[in-house]
Amino acid sequence: MKVSLKWLSEYTQVPSDVKAFCDRLDLTGTGVEGVETLGESFDGIVAGRVLTCEPHPDSDHMHVVTVDVGAAEPVQIVCGAPNIAADIVVPVACVGAVLPGDFKIKKSKLRGVVSCGMCCSQRELGLGSDHSGIWILPDEVPVGTPMAEVIGSGDTVLDLEITPNRPDCLSVVGMAREVGAMYQQPVEYPLAADVAKLAAVTAGADVAEVVSVTVEDAERCPRYTARVIDNVKVGPSPDWLAERVTAAGGRSINNVVDVTNYILYLYGQPLHAFDADLLADEAGHISVVVRGAAEGEALTTLDGEERTLTEDMTVIATPKRAVALAGVMGGLDTEVTEATRTVLLESADFCNGRTSRTSRNLGLISEASMRYERGVDENMCELVSQAAAALLAEVSGGTVRPGVVDVYGKPAEGRPLTFRIGRFNAMMGAAIPTDFIEDILVRLGCAVEATDDADVLSVLAPTFRPDLEREIDLYEEVLRLWGMDRIAPTLPGGRERVGTRTAEQATLRRVNDVLRASGLNETMTYSFAEPGDVERLRLAPDALGLAVELLNPLNAAMSVMRQSMLPNLLRSVAHNQARGVKNIQLYEIGTVFTAAEGRKKAKERKKLAGVLAGSMADTAWNAPAVPFDFFDGKGVLENLARELALPKVRFRALSAEEAPQLQPGRAAEMMAMGAVIGWVGEVHPLVCDAFDAAPPVVAFELDVSALVKASRPARNYVDVPTFPAVAVDQAFVVDEAVTHEKLSQVMASAGGKLLESAALFDVYRDEERVGAGKKSMAYSLTYRAADRTLTSEEVERAHGKLVDKVQKATGAEVRA
Amino acid sequence: MAIAEELADLRERTLAEIGAAQDSAALEAVRVAVLGKSGTLTGYLRSMGSVPPEERASVGKAVNAARVEVEEALAAAKAAIDAAELTAAIDAAAVDVTLPGRAQQMGTRHLINGIIDEVSDIFMGLGYKVVDGTEIETDYYNFTALNAPADHPSRSMQDTFYIRDLSGDASRVRGESDVLLRTQTSGVQVHTMEDWDLPIYMIAPGKVYRRDVADPSHLPQFHQIEGLVVDRGITFGDLKGTLDYMCKQIFGPERKTRFRAHYFPFTEPSAEVDVSCGICHGEGCRMCKGTGWIEILGCGMVDPNVLSMSGIDPEEYSGFAFGMGVERIACLKYDVPDLRMLLEGDMRFLRQF
Repeated sequence: MKVSLKWLSEYTQVPSDVKAFCDRLDLTGTGVEGVETLGESFDGIVAGRVLTCEPHPDSDHMHVVTVDVGAAEPVQIVCGAPNIAADIVVPVACVGAVLPGDFKIKKSKLRGVVSCGMCCSQRELGLGSDHSGIWILPDEVPVGTPMAEVIGSGDTVLDLEITPNRPDCLSVVGMAREVGAMYQQPVEYPLAADVAKLAAVTAGADVAEVVSVTVEDAERCPRYTARVIDNVKVGPSPDWLAERVTAAGGRSINNVVDVTNYILYLYGQPLHAFDADLLADEAGHISVVVRGAAEGEALTTLDGEERTLTEDMTVIATPKRAVALAGVMGGLDTEVTEATRTVLLESADFCNGRTSRTSRNLGLISEASMRYERGVDENMCELVSQAAAALLAEVSGGTVRPGVVDVYGKPAEGRPLTFRIGRFNAMMGAAIPTDFIEDILVRLGCAVEATDDADVLSVLAPTFRPDLEREIDLYEEVLRLWGMDRIAPTLPGGRERVGTRTAEQATLRRVNDVLRASGLNETMTYSFAEPGDVERLRLAPDALGLAVELLNPLNAAMSVMRQSMLPNLLRSVAHNQARGVKNIQLYEIGTVFTAAEGRKKAKERKKLAGVLAGSMADTAWNAPAVPFDFFDGKGVLENLARELALPKVRFRALSAEEAPQLQPGRAAEMMAMGAVIGWVGEVHPLVCDAFDAAPPVVAFELDVSALVKASRPARNYVDVPTFPAVAVDQAFVVDEAVTHEKLSQVMASAGGKLLESAALFDVYRDEERVGAGKKSMAYSLTYRAADRTLTSEEVERAHGKLVDKVQKATGAEVRA
Repeated sequence: MAIAEELADLRERTLAEIGAAQDSAALEAVRVAVLGKSGTLTGYLRSMGSVPPEERASVGKAVNAARVEVEEALAAAKAAIDAAELTAAIDAAAVDVTLPGRAQQMGTRHLINGIIDEVSDIFMGLGYKVVDGTEIETDYYNFTALNAPADHPSRSMQDTFYIRDLSGDASRVRGESDVLLRTQTSGVQVHTMEDWDLPIYMIAPGKVYRRDVADPSHLPQFHQIEGLVVDRGITFGDLKGTLDYMCKQIFGPERKTRFRAHYFPFTEPSAEVDVSCGICHGEGCRMCKGTGWIEILGCGMVDPNVLSMSGIDPEEYSGFAFGMGVERIACLKYDVPDLRMLLEGDMRFLRQF
C-alpha cells in the first residue's frame, strides 16, 4: 500500500529522517518495500514562457511556438493544445524528460516541423484529470523554474507491505494510529470533523423515500448502507483531491470517483458510487438487492470485461439485473459518467472469504477486494458514508438527502480480553513495564482497565482489529512496539533434550560418505516425472504400481510423481553429454511415489540411485582412462556392503524379463541375507536412447529402507594372523556357465578352516589353448592356520583336496 | 721371489686396483680375485702347508696383515661407491613435483544437502532431533492444523500442487482434493506435537513444492528447514538466542541478526530474521538492496491454537518455531545465479562444491 508522508503528517508527526522512520516501520511489522520521492520524476520539466505562437503551416489545429525555458536560446515546440497562446507560462517537458507512463521526450518532427519538447497538461504530468488543454501556470512563475518547485510537492511516498492480519493499516488514518503507537505520540483523527460537514450540504427528501435495500443473506453482507447525493456535477477533481489520489497510487478519474477513492485510502472503507438514475425503476424508486449470483449469471465490470459468475459470488442488483460484483468491482452500465446527476453511495461490508474467492477465481484484484478479504470494520460503514457524502456534495456541488438506508443485522462488538502482565513478561523473557503495556494498547485503540488483580488488565479490543482475538495477540502488539531488539538473546534451558539421529539418518550419512569416497557426485532431480517414463524404461506400465497424478501440474512433462529415480538421472546424463561433458558420476537419494486405489496418501519410498558414464577421469599422464562398465557400478555397491557391514551379500544375474531396463547379461540384483536391496547393471541401449543418453551408462537403484534394515552397526573383530601364510596360485579351466560365485563356494567349502582366502587374479579365454566355450579362472589361494605354522605337507594335502573337489563339482580341468 | 716380496707386490697391486674401481661391480671383481675362493691372497692362506715351518709364523702374519689391509680398503671403497651410487640413483629419480598426483577421485555433496548437514549438525549440538516427514501431506497437516484460514490464497490450485485422491472420500477442499504436495515443512511440527512426548526439540529439513514455474529465482521444488521447540518456560528470548547462534555458526561470528515483527498464521508473536549483509557489513549495497540486511528466515512463538490442536496445554507449555529456505541460504553463501542449476545435475556445477 502506498502512503504519502505529506498526507500522513496531517494526522500525526512523521519523523524527518525517512530512513530511520522506514527502519522503525520494518522492525515493528510494517515492511517498507519502496520509497519514492515525488517531484524526482519531474526532472527536465520546467516552467516556460511562450514567446511566439504561429499556426502550423501544414495543420489546421497545431501551432508552432517558441518558448523561453531559461536557456540561452528559446526552444521550438509543435503544440496541438487548443488553449496555447503567446505570453502564457506553461510546463515544458524538455528533450530527455520522462513523463509518467515512461513516456520519453525526444526531438522529433511533426508534419515537417521540428519539435524540441512538449507543453504539458495536468494529466500528462500525472497530476490530475484535466486534459482539456495546456496547464497554464500563474504568470509570476519565473521562467526555468523546475516543476517540482512549482508544484511544491517534495512529497515522499512509502510502499508498505501490510501483513494480512492488519486490515486496519490499509488506510492513512490506520497508519497514523500505528505511527502514533510506534512513537507514543498523539494522533488527530479527522473523521468527526469530516462528518460534521454533512449538515451543511443536506437537503431534500429523506433517502428512504427513494431507496430500499434488501440483504438476502446477512452472512454474505453483514451491513449495507446507501445514501443519495442529488444534483452532482461530474467533472475534474480539485487539485488537492487529484494529488491525494495520485499519491496513494490511484488515478484521478472524476470528482465523484475520486472522492470514493480518497475516502477509501483515508479510512480504509471501500465505497461505490452508482449512477442512481440508472438503478431506478420507472417510478423513480431504487430497490437494491444484495444476493448470491446465479450460476452462470453475466456481469460486465467497470474494466469492460464480461464476467461469468458463480453461486459463491455476491452481487448488488436491482430487481432486474446485477449491477455490481459485491466487494470487488462495480458494473459498467451503472458507472458514474459525466451525464450522472444523482449518485447512490454504497458503503458496506461483505464476507471476507467470498470476496477473496471471487477475486481470485475471476483474477480480479481491486483496492476494495483487497480490503474486504482482509476485513473491513462494519461499525464504521455508516460514519464513513457520512464523511464521503459530505465531501462528494462539496466537490460536485450537489446536496445529500437526509438519512441513510442502513441494513445492519447484529452490530459487531469489541472483544473483551485479559492481559496477564506476569505471564506476558515470562513468555517474552523480558520485564516490560505495565505503564508501557497500557499505553500501547490504548494507542492501538483498545479500552484498557485495571482489575482487582494488579497483574491482570482487562482489555476491550476494537472492532477494526479483527486480529486481536486472544490474549496472545495482545502480547504480540506490545512486544513488537516495545521492540524485539530490546529482548536479550538466551538459549533454552530444558533438561531433557538430547540430539540423536534416527537409524536411517545415521545409515544415510555413512552411505553418502561411501558414495563420495567412491567418486560419485550427489545431485538432485525433479520429483516430477513425465507420463510414459515407466514405459521408456521398457517396463510394463504397471510394473512399478500406480503413478501419483497431480491435479494441477505445471506442464504435461511434470504431471506425475516419479516411480523410479532412473529417468531423471538419465536426463541429467543427457544434459551433460549434450554439453560435452563425457565423464559422469552422479547419485541421488530421493523419494519415489506409488499410489493405490482406496488410499489417500500415496506410498513414499526412499531410493538411492546412481549413474556412471564415460570414465572416472580422462587419461592422465600417469593413469589411463578406464571406461565404466558393469563392475564399476558393482564396485560402488561392494564398497557400500563393506561400510554398512551388510551380511551375506550376493549378486544374482537378472534376466531380460526381470530387468528390462538393463542390458541382459550385464544386470544383477543385490541381496543381503536373502533380502533384495536393489539392482545394478548397464542400462539397456534402447532405454538410453529413449532419454537421449549415449550408452554405455551403468546404473544402480537401491531401496534405502532395505539397506537400513540390512546394515549392521559394527563388524566382529577377527584375530590378526600371527603365523605365516602359504600362497598357492591355481588356475581352473571351466565351462563359461560356471560362475565365479560357484567356484568360490566350492573352494570355500573344500578349503575348510585352512583356506583363508581365494582371490581371482585372472580370467583367460583362448579357443586354442583353453578351448571353445571355456575360460581359465586363476586364483591366488592363501592357506593359513591360526595356531601354528603350516607344514608343506599340510598345505599340499589341503590344496589337493580342494582341487579335487573343484574338479568334481564343476568339471574343471587343472591348467598347468 | 721371496714370499714376502710377492705379498708386498700383491698388496700394492690390489690396493691400486681397489683405488681404481669405479663401481660396486668392479670392486666386487677385485674382491673375488683377491679374497674369493680361488683368490690370490686366499691361495697364500691355502698354501701355508707348503711354507717351511720356520717361516710359517712370519708369512702367516704377513698374509693376514695384507688381508686385513685389503679388506679395510675394500670396505672403505665400497662405502664410497655405495654413497656415490645412491646419490646418482636419487638424482636420477627426481620428478617434476608440479606434475599432477595420482588419486581416486573424490565425489561431492550437493550444496543443498551440504547446507542441510551443516544446519543439522548445529542443532544436534544444541540437543535437537532431526526429523523426516513425508512429501505428500493432507490439507489438514499442511494448512488447517497450522491455523491457515480456509480461504487463504496459498491453498489455491494456483499455488499448491494437489494430488488425485484415490481414497474415494468426498474431497473437502472446494471440490478439489485434500491431498497435496507439502508447501512447507511446517506440517512436521504438527505430526511431532501429536506423536512425541514433551519436551520437543527438533528440526525437520525436507523437500517442499509450490506451483511456481522454474526460473532463475524460483523452483517448483525446493527445501526448507523447520525447527520446533515446545517445553516449559520457553521465551521469545530463547528464540532470539537460538537463531542468533545458528546464523553466526552458518555465516560467521561477525554477522549480526535483526528480528522484524511479522505475521505468520501459526506463530504469535511472529518475526522475520535478517542477517547483516556479508558484502557491505550493514552499509547498504546491491546485494542487500541498500538495507544492510538480508532476510533469511521466519519464526515466532508457537500459536496457542496450534498447541491446543495437538493436545498440548498452552498454559503449561510454550514454544517457538522457525522455518528457512535452504536454497536462499545457498544463494547467499555461494552466489548461485540461477536456481535451476541445482536440479540439472551438471557435473561442472556439482563438482564445484
